Amino acid sequence: MSGGIARGRLAEERKAWRKNHPHGFVAKPETLTDGTVNLMVWHCTIPGKAGTDWEGGYFPLTLHFSEDYPSKPPKCKFPPNFFHPNVYPSGTVCLSILNEDSGWRPAITVKQILVGIQDLLDQPNPADPAQTEGYHLFIQDAAEYKKRVRLQAKQYPPIV
Amino acid sequence: MDNPTFNEDDGGSDLDEISHSFICCVCRDLLYKPIVLSCGHISCFWCVHYSMSGLCESHCPTCRHPYIHFPTICQMLHFLLLKMYPVAYKRRENQILEEEMKRDTFSPQVNSQDTFSTMVFESNSSSDPLSTRKGEAYANTDVLMSNSQVQDDGTGTLVEISDGNSEVIRNIAVEEKYCKQVSVADVLCLECKQLLFRPVVLNCGHVYCESCVIIPAVEMLKCQVCQTSHPRGFPKVCLELDHFLEEQFPKEYMLRRYGSTGTAKQGGPAKQGEKLPHWSDPHSRVHTGCGCDSCGIYPIIGDRYRCKDCKEIIGFDLCGDCYNTQSKLPGRFNQQHTPEHKFELIENGRTMWWQPLHNPIVIASEDSENDEND
Repeated sequence: MSGGIARGRLAEERKAWRKNHPHGFVAKPETLTDGTVNLMVWHCTIPGKAGTDWEGGYFPLTLHFSEDYPSKPPKCKFPPNFFHPNVYPSGTVCLSILNEDSGWRPAITVKQILVGIQDLLDQPNPADPAQTEGYHLFIQDAAEYKKRVRLQAKQYPPIV
Repeated sequence: MDNPTFNEDDGGSDLDEISHSFICCVCRDLLYKPIVLSCGHISCFWCVHYSMSGLCESHCPTCRHPYIHFPTICQMLHFLLLKMYPVAYKRRENQILEEEMKRDTFSPQVNSQDTFSTMVFESNSSSDPLSTRKGEAYANTDVLMSNSQVQDDGTGTLVEISDGNSEVIRNIAVEEKYCKQVSVADVLCLECKQLLFRPVVLNCGHVYCESCVIIPAVEMLKCQVCQTSHPRGFPKVCLELDHFLEEQFPKEYMLRRYGSTGTAKQGGPAKQGEKLPHWSDPHSRVHTGCGCDSCGIYPIIGDRYRCKDCKEIIGFDLCGDCYNTQSKLPGRFNQQHTPEHKFELIENGRTMWWQPLHNPIVIASEDSENDEND
């Protein structure tokens, strides 16, 4: 039912974001072709942290909210085949705070999600691998891993 | 940069003046009919209800602290917010009422302080605009009209100010006018009748100083006002409220701080209520999505008694314990239940009577992600 609180909460999230958000990040609900705004899908950009191999990359991330939000977390997706040990081949991010059964709390804001994913980029969790390639390089070949990360950062330059 | 068609001012533009302590962490709006969980975190009535599981234990939306009882609305906080933010609170009331009418299921009415089950409206001595409303059930039109009523009654003095065409001045005026009205009398402990110090809220919604709750030696913690038992151990201090009190009443709060050292009974936590049931136990007979209208346990485990006469969609149910103690409490969803109504015993679990109306319960996790087995 559209009477659920998902949309109301997302409208408040949007307001809070416009008022204040971390530097370099973008988070914006999707605009449909007829000009209306779909609050249930947000297109975001996460900047790679300065001083890490991810620096210089501006990684596109899409948040898909369900009608059960905020009881259930949004699904967070990078582009398919995104290189990271904790990102599934489909692009879905695997992170405890985004898991309804472990770390998700309705109090977690969009801002906290995005900052959490930014942290995850440079601090992968080897205990919870989601793709073979990223995971194997991360634990077996640090030099190659670093190279791949830097290469990927170049693939996602800032959008001017 | 941003899409101009998105209406940013769709309600809630009054949120700037509201203390951060009173923003619900679930809907991110002003708390409406606030409920304080035993971990001390506050959410709106519906936000708590929607966040509950109905299938097994629930977790606090802020800290994931587990709980199984849906607490009663905290009347003291309700009236405090109504007094401090009459316009915003009224907006919330209209907004929630509209949603409730769509679903034909209502939150309980909060009438006057301390009268728990009566429908009589006590005329408040303060110029609180809501008290002009009659204590009739929700299906009436004067609620919808009362938006203008607030303008007339509540903000009478602001009419002259608004000519000064500065929204800021107006907001400050509103804030000053109402915050001044809040006095220590609005935030008293039910036991010591002084300003609340380190407040805790019991399952029944009554508020005490942490040190004023009497911890019984053997049986479960009981509210000294309404005598309902508080399940599952000693509640944690509601820190948001505590911080607000310290800020709002610095002098009185300091006095309480010095006065209450040494008297605190914080040492031994109260006897834990029954342990959390084992959801996986096939014999525990969980009544999925069905809660007790008296103690608030959700879902009911064991015997469940369903009222045969309540006509509301959501029904009226009691758990075995509350049925046997002849609870006289009104329903959690404004049901018009009376003691004359007849009950029937429902022994088997897995019925879907009291399910949350916005989302049918999904028994199995249906994560569509198919590549997560990688």
